[in-house]
Amino acid sequence: MYLIKKSQVMDIAKELQKEYELYGPVIDKETKQTMFVKADDAAEIDLNAPIPAIPPKHVLFPNYERIMSYKYDRQNKKVDIKPDFDEKPKALFGLRSCDLTGVLCMDRFFLGQEFADEVYKNHRKNMFIVSNTCIAPFKQCFCVCTDSGPAAQEGYDLNLTDLGDQYLVEAGSDKGKKLAEKMGLAKADDSHKKAKENAVDKSISLFDSIATDNKAWISRVMNRVTTGLIDEKVWEYIGNQCIECGACSFVCPSCTCFNITDPITAPDEADRMRTWDSCSYEGYSRMAGGHNPRKPVEDRRSKRFFCKLSYSQAKKYLRPGCVGCGRCQWVCPGDIGLPNVVTYIRREIQK
Amino acid sequence: MNYKSGICTFCGTGCGHLLDVRGDKVCGVFPMQNHPVSKGRLCVRGWNVHELLSTADKITTPLIRKNGKLVEASYDEAVACLVDNLAKYKKDNSEEIGFLASSRSSNEDNFLLMKLARSVFNSNNISLDSDPGHRNSLDVLNRATGMPGMLGSLEEISKADFLLVVGIDITKQNPIIGSELHFAAMKGARLMTIDTRNTQIAKLSNGFLQIRPGSYKVAMAYMAKVLVDENLCDVDFLKRYTEGFEQFSKTLAALNDDEVAGKTGLDVEQLKNAARDLALSKSAMVFFSSGISGFDSDTIGYIFNLYLMAGKIGREGCGVNPVTGINNLQGSYDMGIAPDLLTGFQSLSDKSAIDRFNKEWGVKLNTHPGKSICESSGKLKALVVVDHDETIVRNVNEISKMDFVAYIGSYKNDFVNYAHVVLPVATYAETDGTFTNTERRVQLAKKKLEPAKNVLPAWQLIAKIAEKAGAKWNYASPADVMAEIVKLTPNYAGIAYDKLQAMGGMKWPNGAARLNIESAPRKVSFAEIAGGLSVPLASEEYPLLLMIGEAQHYWHQNNLMKKTSIPLREYNATLLLYPKGYVAISPQDAKDLNVRDRFTVKIVSPYGSMEAMVQVTDKVKPKTAYVAYFVDDMVTKFFLEHKDVLKRGEDATIPVRIVKV
Amino acid sequence: MSEINNLTIPEIVTIDEIKDEIVEVKTFYLSFDARKGGEAPKFTSGQFVMCTVFGAGEFAVSLPTCPENDRFHLTVRRVGKVTNALHELKPGDKIGIRGPFGNGFPFDEIKGKNVIYVAGGIGLIPLRSSIMRVMQNKDKFGRVLLFLGARTPQELMYADSIKEWKTAPGFETNITIDNPVPGWDGDVGFVHTLIKKKNIPIENTVAFVCGPPMMFNAVIKELTELGIGEENIISTLERHMKCGIGKCQHCAIGRTLVCTDGPVYTYRQIKTLGEQI
Repeated sequence: MYLIKKSQVMDIAKELQKEYELYGPVIDKETKQTMFVKADDAAEIDLNAPIPAIPPKHVLFPNYERIMSYKYDRQNKKVDIKPDFDEKPKALFGLRSCDLTGVLCMDRFFLGQEFADEVYKNHRKNMFIVSNTCIAPFKQCFCVCTDSGPAAQEGYDLNLTDLGDQYLVEAGSDKGKKLAEKMGLAKADDSHKKAKENAVDKSISLFDSIATDNKAWISRVMNRVTTGLIDEKVWEYIGNQCIECGACSFVCPSCTCFNITDPITAPDEADRMRTWDSCSYEGYSRMAGGHNPRKPVEDRRSKRFFCKLSYSQAKKYLRPGCVGCGRCQWVCPGDIGLPNVVTYIRREIQK
Repeated sequence: MNYKSGICTFCGTGCGHLLDVRGDKVCGVFPMQNHPVSKGRLCVRGWNVHELLSTADKITTPLIRKNGKLVEASYDEAVACLVDNLAKYKKDNSEEIGFLASSRSSNEDNFLLMKLARSVFNSNNISLDSDPGHRNSLDVLNRATGMPGMLGSLEEISKADFLLVVGIDITKQNPIIGSELHFAAMKGARLMTIDTRNTQIAKLSNGFLQIRPGSYKVAMAYMAKVLVDENLCDVDFLKRYTEGFEQFSKTLAALNDDEVAGKTGLDVEQLKNAARDLALSKSAMVFFSSGISGFDSDTIGYIFNLYLMAGKIGREGCGVNPVTGINNLQGSYDMGIAPDLLTGFQSLSDKSAIDRFNKEWGVKLNTHPGKSICESSGKLKALVVVDHDETIVRNVNEISKMDFVAYIGSYKNDFVNYAHVVLPVATYAETDGTFTNTERRVQLAKKKLEPAKNVLPAWQLIAKIAEKAGAKWNYASPADVMAEIVKLTPNYAGIAYDKLQAMGGMKWPNGAARLNIESAPRKVSFAEIAGGLSVPLASEEYPLLLMIGEAQHYWHQNNLMKKTSIPLREYNATLLLYPKGYVAISPQDAKDLNVRDRFTVKIVSPYGSMEAMVQVTDKVKPKTAYVAYFVDDMVTKFFLEHKDVLKRGEDATIPVRIVKV
Repeated sequence: MSEINNLTIPEIVTIDEIKDEIVEVKTFYLSFDARKGGEAPKFTSGQFVMCTVFGAGEFAVSLPTCPENDRFHLTVRRVGKVTNALHELKPGDKIGIRGPFGNGFPFDEIKGKNVIYVAGGIGLIPLRSSIMRVMQNKDKFGRVLLFLGARTPQELMYADSIKEWKTAPGFETNITIDNPVPGWDGDVGFVHTLIKKKNIPIENTVAFVCGPPMMFNAVIKELTELGIGEENIISTLERHMKCGIGKCQHCAIGRTLVCTDGPVYTYRQIKTLGEQI
């Protein structure tokens, strides 16, 4: 445990920028929207910024990414394949604990199953993560319901906690410790640890008054979603409101569905692109030939909530798939962000 | 930051988005949370716009046709070729030169094209394609109120407590407006849908009346009659702000319940309740489609008159709101893309307006109204087409016979096959430009990346053409163009690029959220109704009423969608199932015809026939059928035969017979 | 490590020969450019590969090749853009292969049992591999019954293999077409009706069933009514797939991913998946 003065906390980002591409929460001047993006200048990053509209997912799992390109010489029957994996070292600075939890879900999903995903592995292998404890929640937060905040428990190299005039800096890895030592940060003691605990307790106590948008008491709902004991009518009510935009998947820190296409760049030349996809789209599960096992929109909706809220899926993430960030509720043109769906299901259970 | 703000290029809603721009590539898109219209939402099209902007299907070099083949050329050569060819047909009134503009072009690009047509080539033959829908809406609203645009606004949806959706599958066509309506209903507004099909918004409504195709105006007239009969008109409002009520109400007297029930297929009690809900609400809005599937003038007139009688125009949370399907359809009419209009709906026959234009442009404009391409009946010899996104070229027989066709656009499309000269222009993300959404909101989409090597933005290219033709134009930027637009267009007064920098732009006139009824120079008049209340009737020979519409993923023929992968996949989901296109019929009709889903049938009308596969669905009522037109044959071989029917509106309903093949 | 990693980047293979199987269905014989003797990587019956047609895209296809004594090949029906492009290729052309992926059919586990294969149309493609393998090891199995259905005689695929099976010792091969046609002297009618007519073993029996959903459901009903346990009915599921390695999620059915947990399931498992098949 170390300490750093508030006025110097960005020195950590600057130090990281020497070795890494630096990403962090940046408030766009024009739109006042916080985005978790690459910062050319560390000073653009604002540790006090509201929860970013776009989660850091896209740094490890980009929206639209080339994973290889190829060229087929038909005359000479020669194929030239060029893999295109991004292994640049990247530092995520000022990650909120919900988003860090999302990264951990992705780690377990992409790397911890039968096969490791090479594209993701390359993004992830040289990464430095600095998380930031939420000393107060935001309006849409419900991480206390999903056990993913307000403070990060694991997965960071360094974790920052605002203690007033200084930040407590906890090292979660050797890499983190090395950096703290290299920067010569002052050592913290148990009193600072206590101060952090108090700050976290206070943050939790503020949820009732500040985090008023969403609540998601997911535990009982998880049971129902896993066993499928939910009235069809509830899914229909949810399905009717879905305009099939895909937004919930795109903004979710733990949603990882992707599509693969080979857009042509020249005759017999193409890029293999990996792009975000969403299970809310009708074509998502349609097979060549037309058969679609998941045609009605309510089937597709129940699939997504199964992914976020079932024990079976939780086995893959080693926790629930929902990290309590509330973004799906922001972007949903229906009224079926995850917290609302949980409410609808609970309402039905109580009947 | 690599996320650059902009306005979505697809439908008339005008949602705000941020494009993830890295160098010369667009790698993603994200919604703009604080945008006044979209508030952080996008639809399936909007969420995948980066795929369109990354397509390899762009035009990157000028082309000239030589010996039947298009060969690469320089801009100078191609522009010279265009100007020389048009010069051959230039007269004082160049009846042989036509311009086909696009409702996707920015206001600046459209304005300059209009200026090029009228002031450089003396041609008033400038139009959008053959969709008359929005023009009908604007004509009715302009004649009655002097405001050629949405009378209410999207931002006031949350302030209305009665919302009526008439004949528009809004969650598919303009999903984010559909979302706003849904949210308003969730918060307690009464949402009512009248449609021929059981659409998603119908499912989300408090009330749904499934009406027989072509009879919307009967329902609207009847609701108006209910207001009269039950003394529910806003009498003070009518006296103070309107004229023509007596005359209009007299025309309603003859309507009787049986006739209405027979024509609409509805229980009149339901219509009565809807009329009462409307009258007793504090504020009310109505939304209807304004495009290919838009209404005829009479239906729009009845809708308008109904709302006027209820006093639901010109007040907070009120309005008669046509919804545009394409991003700059409203702006295109604002820019005078019509044979008889100058900017801001000023008529070509308005002498003071003409004087202003003559003075500003230093010319003497030809004031003979022109003709749109579908009215030209073979007279056109040379045609300039700008930025069309349709794969299906309408009036293809006429176009292929023309001596000269030029295509100016960002993306490849089928017009290229008929063009003698092809000129590339930058995409909407590669230059500054303003777009006017369905609620009259003029928004600036700023340049976010460089166009492909040497490709010019349309405003520069059009100026280059004008210059080559001898005109002296002097624009340093689109902002200069807007300054000239504002000078010539009373509606656009007060708009300027420096004010448009802020998110959300500015609505004309003067940021008005709705028609300002207090300061109107004259009283609002009741819309004149030209025809009777006849409805298209099925007969023994043609027993089904066929409706025409668009569906979410078959959107304006989808030339843009086809350049993406995820929206394309969604498009293909149905197109693969129904490769010849589909006609939706009810399970009962399917049984009578002895067909199952995906069986091929022939649709026969008095004027033509086409083949399609049936989609059996309970979304349509028995004795009605629905086609989403997105297959080449459907448009060129069938609908063109019905050009006149489509033009008349009548909810574009055609009596047909369906036969099993 | 000498093992070639083709999980994400396809390895290049050459089309040695193309055979017209039936209308719209072709068989492609392949050799692997980077492997010794062009030989395929190790695989088992019931697995699938991801096949890239350069310039068109990638699709999942199940393996008809027998893991023992067989030429590596794929049999592909023309259904969409990518398979269309594959059908246009000529011998000598290159395509890409990732895989094999998936769990595969049981083999050692079912030794000593009677085996029933029921295939409708191109459902025979994945079963061919298993049938061939059982044939080569016939002494380790009990009765082996084949029920092959097609709409017309022209739509019967793998004519050469069928000829072999018809004469294979201990094989009981039954073939049926949907409707009678002149010149056809075999069985007529849907394949499930044929099962009823034959005296099939019930005890100590496993049944492999592959075919279109309608046929599949009818056959399952028949088999379970005859008393074959749901856990002894084995099939392979088809789903839209993009990655093959459990990441893209397109093939998810409830809690299972067809690409890594499947594509081979017992009917008992399929029943509990909770989605349409």
